[in-house]
Amino acid sequence: MIFRIFRKELLDTLRDRRTLMTMLVIPTLIFPIVLNVFVEISKSFEEDEQQKELKVGVFGTNSQHLKQQLQQLPKSLGKKMVLIYSDSLKLDKDVKAQNIDLGLYHHYTTDQKTLVLDWQFDATEIGRPERAEAFNAAIEAIEQQKRLKALGIQIQEIEPVKANYNNCASDEKMIGKMAGGFLPYIFIAFGFIGCMYPAIDLFTGEKERGTIETLLTTPVARWKILIGKMLVVVSSGMLAASCSLIGLFISIEYLDLGAEKEIMEVIHGMLNLPFILSLLALLFPMVIFFAGVMIPIAIYAKSFKEAQSIITPLNIVMVLPAMIGFFPGIELNLNTAFIPVINVVLATKELIAGTLSFGYFLSVFSVMLLIAGLAVLLSYRQFGKEQNILS
Amino acid sequence: MITVQHLSKTFELTKQQRKELQTQAKTANAVKNISFECQPGRVFSLLGPNGAGKTTTLRMLATLVKPSSGQIQIQGIDALAHPEEARKHIGFLTGSTGLYARLTPIELIDYYADLYGVTAVNREKRKAELFELLNMHDFLNQRIGKLSTGMKQKVSICRTMIHDPEVVIFDEPTSGLDVITAENIIKLIRSCKDQGKTVIFSSHIMSEVDLLCDDLAIIHKGELKYQGTMDEFKAQMQTKNLTEEFIRIVQTQNLAQ
Repeated sequence: MIFRIFRKELLDTLRDRRTLMTMLVIPTLIFPIVLNVFVEISKSFEEDEQQKELKVGVFGTNSQHLKQQLQQLPKSLGKKMVLIYSDSLKLDKDVKAQNIDLGLYHHYTTDQKTLVLDWQFDATEIGRPERAEAFNAAIEAIEQQKRLKALGIQIQEIEPVKANYNNCASDEKMIGKMAGGFLPYIFIAFGFIGCMYPAIDLFTGEKERGTIETLLTTPVARWKILIGKMLVVVSSGMLAASCSLIGLFISIEYLDLGAEKEIMEVIHGMLNLPFILSLLALLFPMVIFFAGVMIPIAIYAKSFKEAQSIITPLNIVMVLPAMIGFFPGIELNLNTAFIPVINVVLATKELIAGTLSFGYFLSVFSVMLLIAGLAVLLSYRQFGKEQNILS
Repeated sequence: MITVQHLSKTFELTKQQRKELQTQAKTANAVKNISFECQPGRVFSLLGPNGAGKTTTLRMLATLVKPSSGQIQIQGIDALAHPEEARKHIGFLTGSTGLYARLTPIELIDYYADLYGVTAVNREKRKAELFELLNMHDFLNQRIGKLSTGMKQKVSICRTMIHDPEVVIFDEPTSGLDVITAENIIKLIRSCKDQGKTVIFSSHIMSEVDLLCDDLAIIHKGELKYQGTMDEFKAQMQTKNLTEEFIRIVQTQNLAQ
């Protein structure tokens, strides 16, 4: 009988355009669209920046020489137009007014041995600090070469020590620890949103439409009705979260995100069956927990609007812990493994990094299952209250 | 057959309800110690003004609401001890019954047939009978949300009767319906009576009561103020018609309290 109720509620839910949008369409399309737009905008900014001719204003006693040096810099450092200023205040004013992109003030130290270059720019303009640093490094390299040549010294002679820093962490671990917080954030957010409309529609909506009364007069135990409906809410949450992950993977697979080839290979390597199954195993009790929290509210609320106004802020409360995943240094340990939602976020990070032990996986899964069970119990108690289900 | 003995229902009042009712009491007695019996093949009418306790009583009979005390027997089954068993014998229809707008009538009827455990053979037979009787063939595959009020009411009737219940409960079934749609309900009640089913219904419309009723009870502020057959009631009337007599009884009770 539970399956019969599930089947009917699923059919009813799949015919609701609003639920379909939040359950399937938005989660699947959001990443391909957002990432595509983001990549295209970034690319066009970068191209514009590279093609843009920067105006460099030079002030100081040796301006003519610096102008020549700047003009002789390789084209790969970007186009530039060098203007010599005789008034430092005028250059300052022009940089601030953005008539000049980079202001270069220079002077020698009192011992006349070091040329000091002061760069002035508006750092809110994309690429200005990077271009200034690149020009500066190129000029410094030219001057250093000249001086070493004059002294007859090879560059190796003034480099007594050369350090190499080697990262022993695997690429998987690096991605997991640095960017792994993003993945649980996505499925928590979409898992929650996916549950929201079916929960409201199947409980508050049924009260509002006046169909709950007739359903409860059938010879089906209330707990079976609750479980049948709850399964649809959980399925919707799982579907929405899975769709968002599919959308993300489609983006990685088919969009040129500008990531390095090695990183893309690592990401492809991660997408194996055990990884996906483990991810779904972590997601499943959490979505039951979400459903178990939302359903009592949906049962209590007298109207769709009231349910929505309570559940929407709850979204922030539930999804905020997912942000923990973005902070480096917070690890899955004996304490964090017992904090609901946060434990799933941290376990997912470890899963991506390939460092999640079976013991921790089991602990997180058990804690979430227990919490989910309590949430279901809460739903059952609320569903049993006459004043909640009958108007 | 329905047997009700010493049935009472006390609701806990929320702060909001206490404020609205201007009372300090934490509970309200919706139904107080009522007893009656509804016989097969007869129509029992429960009359009373708004807030008298009619809907609460009918909801208790339908096992939607648990009584605070008392006994209910539906077709000899203790409805409090075995509510799910009792529900198999009940058809419940109210004027405000909603339907699943995104399903078609056929999907909805099949769903309820499954919930009532109607066997495949019986279901097809029953569906054919009801669709024919209610002339539903033209809109069976349309979404319910797109149907007219009259068509929806036919679907509601079909849903109520799909499992061929022995006991049918109608809570203000014609409330808010136009004359033609209400006529379908009247026909249904008559047909239930003719088939020997036990029918209990509440209504505000005295012409309907006069037309259909065999037995009646008047409930006021949760207590039964009159119970008897329609013939007995008419015989002892002190006014010209049913409506006036009903008003007189209620007003007398108000004055007495």
